[in-house]
Amino acid sequence: MFDHTFKTAAVFASLGLVLAVVNAPPAVAQEAGAVTVTFSGITRPTGALMVGVYDSEAAFAGGKPVEGFRLEVAGPEASQVITGLKPGRYAIKVFHDVDGDGRMNTNGFGIPTEPYAASNNAPSRMGPPSWADARFEVTAEGAAQTITID
Amino acid sequence: MDRRAFLTAAAAAGLAQVVTPEQVFARAAASQPAWSLAVADVAGDIPRQPLRRIHGRPPAGLAGTLYRNGPARFRRPGGDATHWFDGDGLVRAFRIGEQGASLEARFVDTFKRRQDTAAGAVITPGFGTLGSDRAVIGSADDTNAANTALLPIGGELLALWEAGSPYAVDPRTLETRGLKTFSPDLAHMPFLAHPRIEPNGRVWNLGLAGRRAIVWTLEPSGAVERTALIDLPRASYMHDFTATDRHLILVLQPLIQDRMTLPFVDALSWRPEEGTQVLVLDKDDLSKRRLYDLPAFFCFHLGDAWSEADGTLRFDACLDSTPQFAVHGARDLLVGKAGRNGVSLAMIALHPDGRAELNRTPLTAEFPRADPRRAGLARSKTIINTVRTEGRPLLRGVGVSDWRTGKADLFDYGPDQCAEELLFVARPGDDSELGGWLIGTSLNLKARATELHVFDAAHVADGPLCSWRAEVGLPVGFHGAWMGG
Ligand SMILES: [Fe+2]
Repeated sequence: MFDHTFKTAAVFASLGLVLAVVNAPPAVAQEAGAVTVTFSGITRPTGALMVGVYDSEAAFAGGKPVEGFRLEVAGPEASQVITGLKPGRYAIKVFHDVDGDGRMNTNGFGIPTEPYAASNNAPSRMGPPSWADARFEVTAEGAAQTITID
Repeated sequence: MDRRAFLTAAAAAGLAQVVTPEQVFARAAASQPAWSLAVADVAGDIPRQPLRRIHGRPPAGLAGTLYRNGPARFRRPGGDATHWFDGDGLVRAFRIGEQGASLEARFVDTFKRRQDTAAGAVITPGFGTLGSDRAVIGSADDTNAANTALLPIGGELLALWEAGSPYAVDPRTLETRGLKTFSPDLAHMPFLAHPRIEPNGRVWNLGLAGRRAIVWTLEPSGAVERTALIDLPRASYMHDFTATDRHLILVLQPLIQDRMTLPFVDALSWRPEEGTQVLVLDKDDLSKRRLYDLPAFFCFHLGDAWSEADGTLRFDACLDSTPQFAVHGARDLLVGKAGRNGVSLAMIALHPDGRAELNRTPLTAEFPRADPRRAGLARSKTIINTVRTEGRPLLRGVGVSDWRTGKADLFDYGPDQCAEELLFVARPGDDSELGGWLIGTSLNLKARATELHVFDAAHVADGPLCSWRAEVGLPVGFHGAWMGG
């Protein structure tokens, strides 16, 4: 019952630390269109959303994002336009750093106590959201994602 | 097999009489044992209905509500729960007042119930139900059935499970208010279904996660006084613990969680060769601990503990020799099979010299309760369910066992009844141990109706002082709480 929650916490907890070391991706010749990401359903308008964009299953499972950002929360919705990605498959994960301490809080047994979500609103099914459920295509026309969090 | 193929096959088999599918289904239904009503489904909430008085008169001065909890929805078209402990919690309110008695019942509106309802199948994994990988599970609370017990505190009824948070329920309307989060950092922390309440109202409880536990202390108001994380010597399955006025007593039975798999019961190994350990902690300093050794046994429930003048700690327990019922019997129940259940009353003594003693009695006993005014203090009486019928999984009698005299004052509801937990209610002005009434329910299988009974706690064998009968027969539940007034 509990192993997947540990996994979930670990997968998301790494996000806060990793964001600090992500640089803007280098400009590339073949740029995809812009990706518009909207986060909705926010019930506690404090802190920030910590967002990571990943380009592989391995990275999504706990590696480095190709793009990462911190988005201030001031209401029930927040959005961000991501540019500069190469065409391809990506997935997003996000946690709501409600208390603004820069990390995903967990309870005494390591179970997340701050909301988290992934692209396609991929669910946690006996484990953290999977790459297969969360991945989406970014083409020359770009992409749009609406992710419900909280 | 379609109807024609079925008939052809039946004819080909040379049956003297052709059996139609309808007859097969009818026979299957008839082969369901009479007690299957005890684990039947309740379709939905039950509005308040009067209870019909069928025997005696209620004692003067008895007014209040018996709240009870228990699983009441196991089956859905696309797939069923496969363990008794995985049904949706149904909170029942048996109200006794000057105008008579009434019953209403409402399901706890859990995430699990919503998810299973939406799927049209029990997809959420549980204690003994595998579930489906279609289920959304963000934390253990997404599998919380809120189906085991009730703690009235802070103006709320907390519907308790054991691996997640309580659900808060309105005691007046039985409406679910939501998951109870005592503070943000305590979200989704487990809270066992058996809190121990001191006579002054302070609540102690545990939550388990393998070899770690949280110790909860709540003020009588329901606010958190303190929590602490402790390490345990082994990852025993623990449904209950007990306490004296100064100690917490954790029975670490050799049913050990040693792997990560679903459902939870499949992650447990029975290792009788390792014996049972008993861990005693000082309430004032949880780092002060003593460990005792006992022979292996399985138990769900313990009685209130007390300490004696020489430092000996005593408590009773309802023991079985193996976890057969928890692992298999409670699965078999849902498909109409009655397994072996050999639970009986025992007394455990923990001596100051480090010696532990286990004295079993032949008295069948489950759902032990005592006078809550003596919780943690010396007492001699234990309220139980008792009387077993061969081939029947549930008990049919109630009683009070007295450790001082060695006598038991028992009442047998009879072969058509399934007994449920009895609680003590004090008679106003009477401070003696069990000076007052016992109140509890039963399921009358013949009348297909739930009954409410009140006994004089000093004369159980005389039978109920008063009994009422509902229009509905609700499945047998687990634990309840009495709220006077
Ligand atoms: Fe229990």
